[in-house]
Amino acid sequence: MPTLENPYLLKAGRVEKVIKECDGVYTFHVRTQEPAYPGQYNMLYAFGVGEAPITIASMEEGYIVHTVRAVGDVTRHIDQLREGDYLYWRGPYGNRWEIERAYNKTLLIISGGLGLAATRWVFEEALNKPIKRLVHLYGSKDYDSLLYRYLYENWSSKVEFYITLGKPDPRWKGRVGLITEILKDLELDKDTVVFACGPDPMVKACVKILEEKGLLLENLYASLERHMKCSVGTCGHCMIGPYFVCKDGPIFRYDLIREYFERKEV
Amino acid sequence: MEGKGKGRSYLLSLEGIRELFEALKDGYIVLAPKLRDGLIALSEVQSLEELPLGYRNIEAPGFCVIEKVEGYFTYTHPYNSFKSFLHPTELPLIRVRKEREDLNFQTLVPEEKAMCLFDIRACDLSALKVLDTVFLYKNPHPDPYYASLREGLFVLAVNCSYATSTCFCTTMETGPEVKEGYDLLITELSEGFLTEVGSEKGKRIIEKVKDKREAEGKHFEEKRKILEKTELTMKRAFQTEGLTKRLYERMDAKYWEHIEKRCVACTSCTQACPTCFCFDIIERNNLELEESLRVRVWDSCFSPSFATVHRFNLRQSVHSRYRQWLMHKFAYWVGQFDCFGCVGCGRCITWCPVGIDIREEVRRIAYA
Repeated sequence: MPTLENPYLLKAGRVEKVIKECDGVYTFHVRTQEPAYPGQYNMLYAFGVGEAPITIASMEEGYIVHTVRAVGDVTRHIDQLREGDYLYWRGPYGNRWEIERAYNKTLLIISGGLGLAATRWVFEEALNKPIKRLVHLYGSKDYDSLLYRYLYENWSSKVEFYITLGKPDPRWKGRVGLITEILKDLELDKDTVVFACGPDPMVKACVKILEEKGLLLENLYASLERHMKCSVGTCGHCMIGPYFVCKDGPIFRYDLIREYFERKEV
Repeated sequence: MEGKGKGRSYLLSLEGIRELFEALKDGYIVLAPKLRDGLIALSEVQSLEELPLGYRNIEAPGFCVIEKVEGYFTYTHPYNSFKSFLHPTELPLIRVRKEREDLNFQTLVPEEKAMCLFDIRACDLSALKVLDTVFLYKNPHPDPYYASLREGLFVLAVNCSYATSTCFCTTMETGPEVKEGYDLLITELSEGFLTEVGSEKGKRIIEKVKDKREAEGKHFEEKRKILEKTELTMKRAFQTEGLTKRLYERMDAKYWEHIEKRCVACTSCTQACPTCFCFDIIERNNLELEESLRVRVWDSCFSPSFATVHRFNLRQSVHSRYRQWLMHKFAYWVGQFDCFGCVGCGRCITWCPVGIDIREEVRRIAYA
C-alpha cells in the first residue's frame, strides 16, 4: 500500500494581526499560502486542548482570516493568541458557497450572530460578481456583539445591507427586532438565491417566511454548525441524517436536508 | 480438488491444522479466539491448544455462557472482534512537542507487524470489508493508521457449523458461508478439515503443511450440507429488501420513544459491534505540559457528549440516540458506503445489559 497522507497533521502560520471585535471575540489574520474557498472551514488547534472547526471569514493575499468566539475549551485558548504568535491548524475542509448560482439573479444573504463570519467572504466576493441585486440581512443579539463594524460603511455604500439588533441600545440608531421582521417586509424575486448562516432556530424561522413569499427552497443554501472532530468523514460526530456535515457540508441545499434539519434530535 | 478458491483444496488432520498454525506463527502475530475469564475472546495466541477447541458459546439477549461439546471449531465468534486490533480502542495519532515557542508534530503510524486472523467467521469477515470501505475505499482521506495495521493481514476463515440464538447472518446475507476475502478457509468435516485456498499468500502457507491430502467431491458435499444445516437453525429475522426506505419513512414513528424505557445508553452495543467506527480524539498531556499526544479513542453515538455543539447535546433523549444508531446501521450507512452497517453477528443483542434485540426493534419499527 502506498504511503498515505496523514489527514491529522497540523500546519503553522504566523498571526499578523489581531482585531478585538467585541468581548471574547477576536479576528486573526494568519499568514498562509493555502488556497481555500468561501464557505470552507479549518480545524484550529490549541496545544494540549484540542481542535475546533472555525469558518474561514476571509482570505486576502497571503493570509486567512478567522473570527473566533471564546466559548469552548479550544477557542478560549485560541483567543489568547497575539501578533507574532503561531496559529496551528489543518484544512481547509468542506464545500463552498456556490456563488455562480446567483449570477444574474437576486442574492439574499442572511447572517445571524457569529454566522456573519461564515458569510462575510462570500458577501465580499459577491460585490464584484454579476449579481442582479445583493441584499444582506445581519442580526446581532445586541450592540456589543456586532462584528466587523469597520466594514459596514463600505458595505452599505454599495448594496442593501441591513442590520438589526435583538435589544435596543442608546448607542444604536438603526433597526431593533428580529431578522425575520426585515425579511417579511422585503420584496424578493421568486428565483432569489439565499445563503444563510446562523443559529438553527433563526434559519428555520427564515425558511418559513421565504416559503410564504413563494421562494424556491432549492435556491436556499444553509451552512450548518455541527460537532466536527476529524473533519475527514470518519469519526461520526457531525452526522445529520445520512450526511457528514464535515465533508458533505457544511453548506447544504436546504430542500435536501430539510427533513433532518427540522426534525428534532436528528 | 479445485474448490471455489484460487487453488487446490486439501483435507487436513488436526496435526495438519497444528502445522498450519505453526507456519503462520512463523511470520505473523496470530490472533485467535481463546478462553478468557469464562468467555471466548480474540487474543494473541502462541499455540493451537490455546483455542477454545471443543467449546461452545450459548448466547441469548443479554446472556452468554460457554459449555464443552464434541468437535473442534464448535463455537461461533469471540465476544470482541478484529476491530479492537485494526481500529484499537486507543491509538496515538500524533505526538506534539513544545520546542521553544514552536510546536513540533510527529506522526505515530503504528508499527507494521503483520497479523493473522486465525479463525474468523463469515459475519466478521464481512465486517472487515465494511471497515475497509469506511476507512480506506470510500473515504476521501484514506486513514494511514488503519491502512498500516491492515496491511499484510492474513485471513484464515472458518465456516460455521453452529449458530447461537443471537446470530442472524442469513438475514444480512453475510453468512454462514465464507465466500470471499480469505487466504485460507477451513470447514470442519467428520473426517478432517477441508482447507480451501483463496490467495497466493494462502497457497504459500499451505505448501508448508505436510499432513494433508487432496480434497474430494464428497468433502465439498459434506461442507454444503453442514452450511445448509447451520443456515436452517437461523430464521430470517426481517426483510432487508426495501428496509432502508421503510426506516426513512418511519423516522417519526412513536415506537422509537418506547426504547427509552429500556435502553440505558451504556454504549455496550457500539463497542461490541465490529463495524461501529465512531471515535473521538483526545489530548494526553505530560505533567510539564511540554508534550501532548493526540489519541484516537472509541466513541459512541449513545454518549451524552457525542453530538454536542457549544456544550449542548443535539440528541438529548436516549431514544434519539438509539434512532441515530439503528438508522445509521440500516439506512444512512447504505447511502454513505453502499452497504449495511450491520453484518448480523448478534453481539449487540448478547451484550446489551437489558437484552434489547435489534432484530425485534427493526421488525417493530419498520414492519409493525
